[in-house]
Amino acid sequence: MRRKRGFSMERKKALWGWIFVIPSLLFFSAFSFYPIINAFYESFFNRNLLSLRPPRFVGWSNYTYLFNSRDFWLSVQNTAIFTVGTFIPLVVFSLILAVFIMSISRFRRFFQLAFYAPAVLSSVVAALIWLLIFDPRGLANQGMNALLGTTGVNYNWLSDTFMLRLSTIVVYFWKYIGYFTVLFVSGIGAIPHTLTEAALIDGANRWQLFWRITFPLLKPTTLLVSVMTMIQCLKTFSTQYLFTSAGAPTRPLNVITLSIYNTAIKDYRIGRATAMSILLFLVMFAFTWLQLRVSRTEEVTFM
Amino acid sequence: MHLNKTRSWYLEKAGTAFVWLFLIVACALVLIPLVFMFTASAMPARDILRLPYPWIPKGIHWPNFIKGLMGPEDDWIFFRNAFNSLVVAGSVSLFTVLLSSMTGYGLAKFKFRGRTLVFMLIMATMMIPFEAIMIPLYMVAMRMGLQDTYAGLILPFLANAFGVFLMRQFLITFPDEILDAARIDGAGEIRIFTNIVLPSSGPSVATLAILAFRSQWDSLLWPLLVVQSDEMKTIPLYITRYMAETHSDEGIMMAVAVLASIPMITLFLTLSKYFVSKDGLTSATKG
Repeated sequence: MRRKRGFSMERKKALWGWIFVIPSLLFFSAFSFYPIINAFYESFFNRNLLSLRPPRFVGWSNYTYLFNSRDFWLSVQNTAIFTVGTFIPLVVFSLILAVFIMSISRFRRFFQLAFYAPAVLSSVVAALIWLLIFDPRGLANQGMNALLGTTGVNYNWLSDTFMLRLSTIVVYFWKYIGYFTVLFVSGIGAIPHTLTEAALIDGANRWQLFWRITFPLLKPTTLLVSVMTMIQCLKTFSTQYLFTSAGAPTRPLNVITLSIYNTAIKDYRIGRATAMSILLFLVMFAFTWLQLRVSRTEEVTFM
Repeated sequence: MHLNKTRSWYLEKAGTAFVWLFLIVACALVLIPLVFMFTASAMPARDILRLPYPWIPKGIHWPNFIKGLMGPEDDWIFFRNAFNSLVVAGSVSLFTVLLSSMTGYGLAKFKFRGRTLVFMLIMATMMIPFEAIMIPLYMVAMRMGLQDTYAGLILPFLANAFGVFLMRQFLITFPDEILDAARIDGAGEIRIFTNIVLPSSGPSVATLAILAFRSQWDSLLWPLLVVQSDEMKTIPLYITRYMAETHSDEGIMMAVAVLASIPMITLFLTLSKYFVSKDGLTSATKG
């Protein structure tokens, strides 16, 4: 009797488990699993958004088109330049800022919040502010002229290829620097005081303290932050979209997401856009997998 | 005592001074664009791009804000668009919390066959970036007749793998004794969930809700795809539209930027601990 009741209790609990899980499984199926499977499928067809003719199976030709397309490789190059150009300074400077913040005894919270403040703004607003700063008569030129002792030089922030790419990097750097600083601060905060105190008692100076204690123990955090930044940068869209729709030349800014968007929405070539999405997906999948691996090993144990 | 003031003592002092100087300069550089946004929003356009930039506005130039609210066609559409943003961000945040905590609870506290598989499948979606599926998703939304509707803006974001993960991790440590005691007292499973589990998940729920709200308030790409009419636009689309149509008036643009940032700045000033909490930070890649 008792046994039977226990058994039915278990089944009842299993049933409730499913009841709690099923609603979101439905959403995941409709808006995550189906689209990604469908994306693989669509990338072999030449669907056109406006055409009434049924899409035709074209095999790998969307992919071969892309691999032979100079525009596609340009957008790959743009994305790579943006990613490398953003993530290295971001990681280096957020680490420096975090170490500096943790080495002072007062105003730690203030500095963290101040550096974090730009992350609160939406990316559209961030791009808008910087568009005005990069205006030929704007603050960026004024600042550069004051710094380099020149007068009235226009640094072409929004027209020269190199400067334009730099501009988008500056916007991104500005928006996310505080974010990663705070991540590093919490990483440093997790290092036991006993370790740093022991090093100081042994006569280590700050330089040695950083290279011998803090940095080695922060390696997992650094790795995690690096992969996270790279993933973020690979998906960059808003800044480039805003800058180009404000009249900046498209070619130097045509990153892969912008290219997917334009191919699908302006050229109506769904098949080709999906093929690009799949390629982006494969790259980001690799990075995300790496991130999950890294964050699993993130917890350092301090004996 | 002054024997201690050796070379290393001076080095130490110089180091401290350098650290403070670096932090203060960096802080100023980071805050300058924000100060620019606020000061420029109060100036007429002709002052903003003057050389050198005046920095201190002579009073507030109200026409910037009034025109910013009226919109490019003087129909006060800002309010409608802000309402849309609030509806979308509010519903996504509410339903994400509800769905994620339900799923997290189901996975953490109930044993059933396939539980591990379900969890793995959900975690796998973290590896599918939105940018990679937006075009197929757009086709799905079109087929379901969701373009230009609230449902179209809201539904794709309700299932949130990070949210499920966060809630499951939190609830796995929730004491079983409390749940069993409630069951013995005759409480139904739904009541246990709504009256016991949900209220005690405060901090995780707050982190998740703010995260969802922020990413929707910020969202540009998906609304660009699904929204067609000006009435259904959200704030980021309002800004891009404004920029395309009145690119010349910098004062209005900055006023719009300030208006669009008010909700987030308010949230940040009141709930900053949830913004900079570790959970909220590591999740960014999915936002």
